[in-house]
Amino acid sequence: MERTIINPAPVTAKKPARRGGGLQPFFRKLLQQRMLVLMSVPFLLWLFLFKYVPLWGWTIAFQKYRPAKAFNDQEWVGWANFKFLFQDETFYQVLRNTLVMSSIKLVLGFVTAITLAILLNELRNIVFKRVVQTISYLPHFISWVVAASIISTALAPEGIVNILLMKLNLIDQPVLWLGKGEYFWGILGASEVWKDVGWNTIVYLAAITTIDPSQYEAAEIDGASRFQRILHITLPGLKPVIIILLIMNLGHILEAGFEPQYLLGNGMTVDYSDNLDIFVLKYGMDMGNYSLATAAGMFKTVVSFVFLLSANTIAKRMGESRLF
Amino acid sequence: MGKRQWLSTALAAVLAVTMVGCSNGAGGGNTPENTPAAVTGEGSAQQEPVTFTYYSFSTGKDVMASDTVIGKELQKQTGVDWKMEFLVGDVKTKSGVMIASGDYPDVIVPEGEIDKLMDAGAFIELDELIEEHGPNIKRVYGPYMDKFRQADGKIYHLPFSANIGYIGDPNISQGAFWIQRSVLKEFGYPKIKTLDEYFDLIKKYKEKYPQVDGKDIIGFVTFAGVADNFFTLTNPAMHLAGYPNDGDVIVDMQTHEAKVYQAGEYEKRWVQKLNEINAEGLFDPESFVMNKDQYLAKLTSGRVLGYFNYGWQVGDATNNLKMAGIDEKRYAPLPIVFDETIKDQYIDPPAFVNNRGIGISVKAKDPVRIIQYFDNLLKEENQILVQWGIKGETYSVDENGRFYLDDDQKTKRDDPEFKRTFGFQYFEYSWPRYGNNSLLADGNAYAVGNQPEVASAGYTEGDKKILEAYGAQTFSGYFSKPDNRPWYPAWSINKGQGTPEQMFGQKASDLQKKYLPRLILAKPGEFESIWNEYTGEFGKLDAKGYEEFVTKIVKDRAAGNW
Amino acid sequence: MSDLSASRKRYNSWSDKIFDICNIIFLCMLVVVTLYPFINMFALSFNNANDSIRGGIYLWPREWTWENYKYIFNESSIYHATLISALRTIVGTVISVFCTAMLAYTVSRQEFVLRKFVTIAFVFTMYFSGGLIPGYLLIRELDLINSFWVYIFPGIIGVFNMIVVRSFIEGLPEGIMESAKIDGAGEFMTFIRIVLPLTVPALATISLFVAVGQWNSWFDVFLYNSSRIELSTLQYELMKILSTSNTAANSMSAADQFAAGQSGASMVTPTSIRATMTIIASLPIIMVYPFLQKYFVKGMTVGGVKG
Repeated sequence: MERTIINPAPVTAKKPARRGGGLQPFFRKLLQQRMLVLMSVPFLLWLFLFKYVPLWGWTIAFQKYRPAKAFNDQEWVGWANFKFLFQDETFYQVLRNTLVMSSIKLVLGFVTAITLAILLNELRNIVFKRVVQTISYLPHFISWVVAASIISTALAPEGIVNILLMKLNLIDQPVLWLGKGEYFWGILGASEVWKDVGWNTIVYLAAITTIDPSQYEAAEIDGASRFQRILHITLPGLKPVIIILLIMNLGHILEAGFEPQYLLGNGMTVDYSDNLDIFVLKYGMDMGNYSLATAAGMFKTVVSFVFLLSANTIAKRMGESRLF
Repeated sequence: MGKRQWLSTALAAVLAVTMVGCSNGAGGGNTPENTPAAVTGEGSAQQEPVTFTYYSFSTGKDVMASDTVIGKELQKQTGVDWKMEFLVGDVKTKSGVMIASGDYPDVIVPEGEIDKLMDAGAFIELDELIEEHGPNIKRVYGPYMDKFRQADGKIYHLPFSANIGYIGDPNISQGAFWIQRSVLKEFGYPKIKTLDEYFDLIKKYKEKYPQVDGKDIIGFVTFAGVADNFFTLTNPAMHLAGYPNDGDVIVDMQTHEAKVYQAGEYEKRWVQKLNEINAEGLFDPESFVMNKDQYLAKLTSGRVLGYFNYGWQVGDATNNLKMAGIDEKRYAPLPIVFDETIKDQYIDPPAFVNNRGIGISVKAKDPVRIIQYFDNLLKEENQILVQWGIKGETYSVDENGRFYLDDDQKTKRDDPEFKRTFGFQYFEYSWPRYGNNSLLADGNAYAVGNQPEVASAGYTEGDKKILEAYGAQTFSGYFSKPDNRPWYPAWSINKGQGTPEQMFGQKASDLQKKYLPRLILAKPGEFESIWNEYTGEFGKLDAKGYEEFVTKIVKDRAAGNW
Repeated sequence: MSDLSASRKRYNSWSDKIFDICNIIFLCMLVVVTLYPFINMFALSFNNANDSIRGGIYLWPREWTWENYKYIFNESSIYHATLISALRTIVGTVISVFCTAMLAYTVSRQEFVLRKFVTIAFVFTMYFSGGLIPGYLLIRELDLINSFWVYIFPGIIGVFNMIVVRSFIEGLPEGIMESAKIDGAGEFMTFIRIVLPLTVPALATISLFVAVGQWNSWFDVFLYNSSRIELSTLQYELMKILSTSNTAANSMSAADQFAAGQSGASMVTPTSIRATMTIIASLPIIMVYPFLQKYFVKGMTVGGVKG
């Protein structure tokens, strides 16, 4: 109906209408697009209610919050909670650990998931492909408690890893893998890949289905090799998804989780394993200090936004697909 | 919606108040002394069936009290049933939302969340209720009342450890140095008292038998790989110096000065000894990375010669070994100290734990009925019911009036499923009760496990051999009797939420976790320099302030002001 | 068909063969390491709990037993809880996937005036939260405590999922939607008739994400519905069983130190229960998976969505 009016010039007409024309054209347009409005605005209300309303909780960061007291009876302490956070010397160490562990997880996670998706895509036996894909995602359903127990059994002095390495003559006596801080980041990164690579692959596999098969056929007729096809068809086909996911995950750079670190870490590795979430758990929740936990949450949000907006801007500058 | 809720809450409150008023009026005529009869007598007028909610911040399986034998019996007496709920998931989250929303159950067992809930005003004060409706409560808690009043001088909860009389635990369920029985047997059950003797014996045995089942023997192992259990590595310093488990301090018997032993002379001596045995290959470095499963697997493998731990932490392993039936692979507790001259104090002195208990919440529908239920529960016959059960069914009585368990009854006692359906699981602990070390009026032990007849009936041939060698009737028999420590336990001192004291505790234990493994695994030559680094870091914390804080409360407690 | 056989022929060059062999070997190794945890859980779940304490259970039970399963299946509450879990998974997934896809469609329309605003408003929420207590108080104000809908409403839109679907729609050939509009279909009908069928791989993907999230979640039950047993879910009931199997030994709370020594020989241990519940809880997902999988595991040899 009204579509026919807009469609002829969707790209050129859009900007002048919003920027230059003031409010009148905006509302006219809104009216024209009432169906789209109807399809999205209810969710905006939902969003406002469930996600934005609870943000009043951020005031807790500026209080010495006691859950039993009413809002008006809380004691206000200004920036004290933030000061505590930024003045604690271990804070910078846990910040470093968080950043390093997240970066490892980000890079390793992306590379392995994309690689696995491509390798699966190159399989010709559809049954084998399905079986591999199903099994590879299984570890995702195992809790970290169980996973950590399996990992520490494998890495024990008499565990399978040491036995294998000894048999291969790579080491001459068992190594206490979990007892050395310098190994911790690597072990954690590998564990996370092991647990989630199959799961993370799913979204790329779905993206691959949208690649037009005729492209592959054309490439074959041109005599392109396996690697060339991957490089020039599969990867470019995945690029939009990869970039969008990358931008989103960069925003989560301070969210490294705490379970695996907590379960695999110990006194000998704390300098490497304690991250922001564990710090907040120790000095925030465990002491009933919701204010500190909230302040740390706000700090994380600020950092997230910086990363998110920079990544999005860079993508925009480079002319790639972007988040918004 | 908010309005409607508010209205209904208000209405409920008004109703509750009227009901309290009514029952107060009705019950007012009874003199406390004739309550046993009175409570049952009131039945018709006031005892129409009612169900209250009970929430415990410890784990367990939810149940309706009347679905258990004990709960049913108590319901018969009082008309009160309980919907009992237990914690699942994270305790801090639960308490946080409970407090923030004010949605309290009728009765709460707050466990470690007690400070938060008290602070939030979750409990009603009990003084008047006890005065009016609690003759038995007064009988049991009377001597202790001043020990659990809050800062405002009022009572808000009833603890679980009000002992009437005293009988010790025949077995070692608390801390000890444990040694594999084959070591004792090999050297003819020698009397060992000091840490040096203990490790010498282990060393001698390992030299003689370096391997078992094709695997290397492990001299000594600790359980320090899991953050929450690190205290099993740090506490021995205090025990070796001849103190009971007072947490992170030792308290002088004369001056009542509390002193933090971390980074002090005792800890150094203990850690340096471990460093030494590590250099000799007796210490298992995996101690610092193992999880609980791996630790228990080691203890049950027969490869470990010695370990320090609290009996309740290794229950699964000791049960496994006991069931396996190979006596030599089991362990025996030893009261090890630093020097010949030190008297061991592994056994807990009579203790009053005032920061655990049960309270009635501000949302309770009928506090009077609840306090009457508590009072009824504290009658001696009901206290026997919740501990021993029903005569002839769950316990037997010999001709001298002594309680014991026959084989069948013992098997039932050990069956967790039976404990649940009968109700021991739900009623033997987290309710108003006598303390564990109490004696019944007829001289029997209050707690089944403390009855000597029950303990000795459970001893195996191997157990008896050791007891004979050390000249004792029970395992606690060859440990020193606990001295009286009126402040005990210092670990129950409330440090408050987010206070400097709490912060000190966190920072200090972080340092321990970081440095102790390094110290123990270091080359002996490097020990001193790491130790200096450690004490330097520790020196930055305000240990003085913390000690002053604890000392003040210890002195208050010793003077009778809890 | 002829295209297909032509490509088959091409695969048979030397380097292709080597690639295939290496690929298969590598993926077989991956299968071994990713299958191991499940085999291990299987072995532990069928092994005598008391024997498992000794360790050394890897691929196969040492002392076979049904006890661990009996212990869980004897718990009468889990049957009804399984029903609730299934219900919330189905209802939650259908509603969430439909709403998320619809929203994704609107923000994929380049000409939509609110496009940027809506996208940003949603994306931002991925990076903040008001905190546990404000969230709880909101749910309480909305009267959603002790209600089934608390499983559904707060999670209607998954922002991540929305973005995934959006990028799929944006990848569709522009002409398709244009032609629909020329046919006179409104936005909603275009969405239903054209977009939904064409984004099946994406919908299957996010259905999987939402369904797994719904099936596994227990935190909302714990927080909001823990006192209404008839709304409890399988995962939560399993959590309860697990926490009950933790003997006093496992906790270091002061009260337990005093209560201890009384706990008898336990027939189950947390380790064996955890293994058993891992198997029980994940079997349904594994069984349903192939039905979803066929929508996104396709390849060029079978043919993708024809553009």
